Amino acid sequence: MRGQDGTDAATRASTPVAFSVEQLAEVHRLQGLYPDRRAALLPVLHLAQETFGYVSLEVEAYVAALFDLTPAHVHEVVTFYTLFFRAPKGRHIVAVCHNLSCHLAGAPMIVAHLRRRLGIDVGETTDDGRVTLQSVECLCACEHAPMMQVDDRYEFGLTPEKVDRILEGLR
Amino acid sequence: MPNLTINGHAVEVPPGTNLIEAARKIGVEIPHYCYHPGLSIAGQCRLCMVDIEKTPRPTIACNTPAVDGMVVLTETDRVKETRKSIMEFHLINHPLDCPVCDQAGECWLQIYYMQHGLYDPRMRDEKVHKPKAVPLGPHVMLDAERCILCSRCVRFCDEVTRTGELGIFDRGDHSEIGLFPGTELANKYSGNVVDICPVGALTDRDFRFAVRVWYLERATSICPGCARGCNIEVHVNRRRPHHNEGRRVARLKPRFNADVNRWWICDAGRYGFAFVDDKTRLLAPSRREDGAVSDATWEEAIGAVAGALRRFAPDEIGVVASPKMANEDLWALRRVLEQRGIRRVAFRVPPREPGDEDTVLIRGDKNPNSRGAELLGLDGDGAAILAAARARVVKCLWVFGHDLLQCAWDAAETDAALRAVPLLIFTGTNANATSERAHWVLPAATWVEREGTYTNFEGRVQRFRAAVEPLGQALPEWDILGRVLQALGVEVSAPRAERWFRELAGAVPVFAGLTYQSIGDGGAKLP
Repeated sequence: MRGQDGTDAATRASTPVAFSVEQLAEVHRLQGLYPDRRAALLPVLHLAQETFGYVSLEVEAYVAALFDLTPAHVHEVVTFYTLFFRAPKGRHIVAVCHNLSCHLAGAPMIVAHLRRRLGIDVGETTDDGRVTLQSVECLCACEHAPMMQVDDRYEFGLTPEKVDRILEGLR
Repeated sequence: MPNLTINGHAVEVPPGTNLIEAARKIGVEIPHYCYHPGLSIAGQCRLCMVDIEKTPRPTIACNTPAVDGMVVLTETDRVKETRKSIMEFHLINHPLDCPVCDQAGECWLQIYYMQHGLYDPRMRDEKVHKPKAVPLGPHVMLDAERCILCSRCVRFCDEVTRTGELGIFDRGDHSEIGLFPGTELANKYSGNVVDICPVGALTDRDFRFAVRVWYLERATSICPGCARGCNIEVHVNRRRPHHNEGRRVARLKPRFNADVNRWWICDAGRYGFAFVDDKTRLLAPSRREDGAVSDATWEEAIGAVAGALRRFAPDEIGVVASPKMANEDLWALRRVLEQRGIRRVAFRVPPREPGDEDTVLIRGDKNPNSRGAELLGLDGDGAAILAAARARVVKCLWVFGHDLLQCAWDAAETDAALRAVPLLIFTGTNANATSERAHWVLPAATWVEREGTYTNFEGRVQRFRAAVEPLGQALPEWDILGRVLQALGVEVSAPRAERWFRELAGAVPVFAGLTYQSIGDGGAKLP
C-alpha cells in the first residue's frame, strides 16, 4: 500500500480538514465511552473517512491532535486496517473475496474479468472515479462462493455475466 | 521477597522482578530481543520463553513476575526447540547481509542464531522486500529489511523522549518501522535507538562503514559535554588506522549508571568528540614573537611560563582556569597558584547563548567539572581579571581552553584586555581565536587521551580513563602544571593523574577518603 501518500497534495489544498462543531461533540462523546480514550480512535477515523472521503496524512495529523497522539501512532492504525482508504476512492467499492472457498470456486477468474471490464488493477480506481476494485480476505459467505461485496451489500454466486449486470447498476 | 528456583538454583528477588532479571541475578542469560530494562514490556519477540513448573506451555519470561515458590527451567528441550523456531521466524525475511552490515559483530541475530538457532532454513519463498538505507534523521539510518519489529526504538521515543516519532506501519510480514511521512527522527536523544536496536535495522550515520566493530578497543569514560557527566565507553580504532579517515575515536556509547544516565546519552554528547582528531588540535608548544609563531620544546615553554610566574608580582598575574579541566588539573593549578601566592583566578566564562537543558539528562552548564572547580576554590571573578588586564594591572594572563573572544563578555573589551596584557599564555586542546593571540601556547591532551576525574553537578566524582595516546606532544594539564611547579622549585614525584588525586583527597576535606579504587567505574557521591 506504500506510495499512495503522494496523491495527497492536490486535495490537501482544496479541502480544509476540520470537523464541524457537532462532529467534535461526537468525538468527545466517543472518547468518553472508554477508560482509555485512545480506544475511540477507530470510530473517529471512520467518522473522518466519511467526512473527508479518505484518510489523508493531513486527516491523520488532525485526528492525532484530537487524541494528543503523535501522527505516527495514528498512521500505525490507519495502515494496519484495510478499511481505511489512504487515497481518494471511487464512488463504489467492489471487493472480491480471494480466500480459499471463493478461490476454489473461481474468484481469480472473477477478478480477471473485473480488471478487464474496468480497465484497472486491484487496488486502483477507474479514471471516472466510479469504481475502486479490491481483493479481500474471507467475508464469511463461503456457501455462496465466489462472492464479493459491493459497497454495503453482498453479491453471491458470481459469474462474468452476473458481474457485468452488477457493474451496469453502478453509477 | 519472592524466593524461586531457576535451573535448580534458589534465588531471592524484589517483588515485581521479572524472570529475565531474576535469572540474570544468578548468571543465567535468557535470550530476548524486545525486552529492555529501561522500557515498558512489549512481549513482542517471543524469544524469552521458559518452562515454569505446573504451567502447561512455555511462557515469556519478560512479562512474568517472579513469584514465591516458582520453579523455572530455561534449558529444557521444549524451550530450546521453541527458541530455535522463533529464531527461524525472525529470520524468515531477514536479508542475511552480514558481510555488508554495520551491526555485524555486535548483532543479536548473529549471536542468538549461533547459540539458539542453527536450524536448516526451510523458507523457499521470495523474501519480502522493504526500504533500505533510509535516513530517518541526522544520525540514524534505517534498513527495514533487517528489522525484527521488536519495537524498542518505538517505545524509546514514546517513553523516554516522549516525542513519539516512530511507529510500526502496515501489517503482517509487510510491517515496518518508520516515521510519519514528512517528519524526521531528530530528538536530542535519537542516537540511543541505534544502541538499543538489537539488529542492523538502525545504524549510526556517523559510524556507518567507518570501522568494523571487532577492530575497536574500549575505555570506560565520562562524557565531558555537560555537567551531568553521563557514563560512556570510548570506542577507538587503533588497529586499522587506514579506516575511518584517521579518526582514532570511532564512537561514544552510553555506559549504564543507575544514578547518572541509566542507559542513555544525548546526541550532543554522543557526536561531540570530533575535536579530538580534528585539524585544530594544538600539537606542539609554540611561542609567538613579533607576530611570528614558532614551535618550542616543552623545556622552553615550561621555563618561559615558570619564569613569568616568578618575574611578575602575584597581583600582576591572572588565571582563567576551565570547568572542562579535571579535578587533578585544577588541584595541580591550585598548587601552582599557592606556590606563587596568585589570587586572581576564575574558571567561569559565560557562554554567548545559555545552554539548552531538559528534564531527561541535558544540563544547561556545558562543562563537566564546574562543581569540581567550585569545590577546589577557583571560583573568582573572571570579568574582573579581564578588567584588570585592560587597566594594565594584570600583566600576565593564563587562559585554559576558553575562547574569551567567543563568550558573553563584550568582545571589544576582551580584545582590549588581550591587547593590553604583555604576556598571554594559553593552555588547551584546540586552537581558537584566543590561542592565536597567545605568546605561549601549551598543548593539552583531550579527555580521551588521559586519566582523570570530573565532579558532576550533583557532586558525584567520576573517573575517566585514557583510550588513546595524546596527539603530537600534547600533555594532560596536570602534567603541564606539575612541570611548572617543579620548575618553581617544588619536588613533584610520581607524575601520574592518580598522584594528584591522592594529594587532593588528602588536602580538601570534602574529597577526604576518596581514591581511584573507591570511585571505581560507578563514581562516588561527595557528602
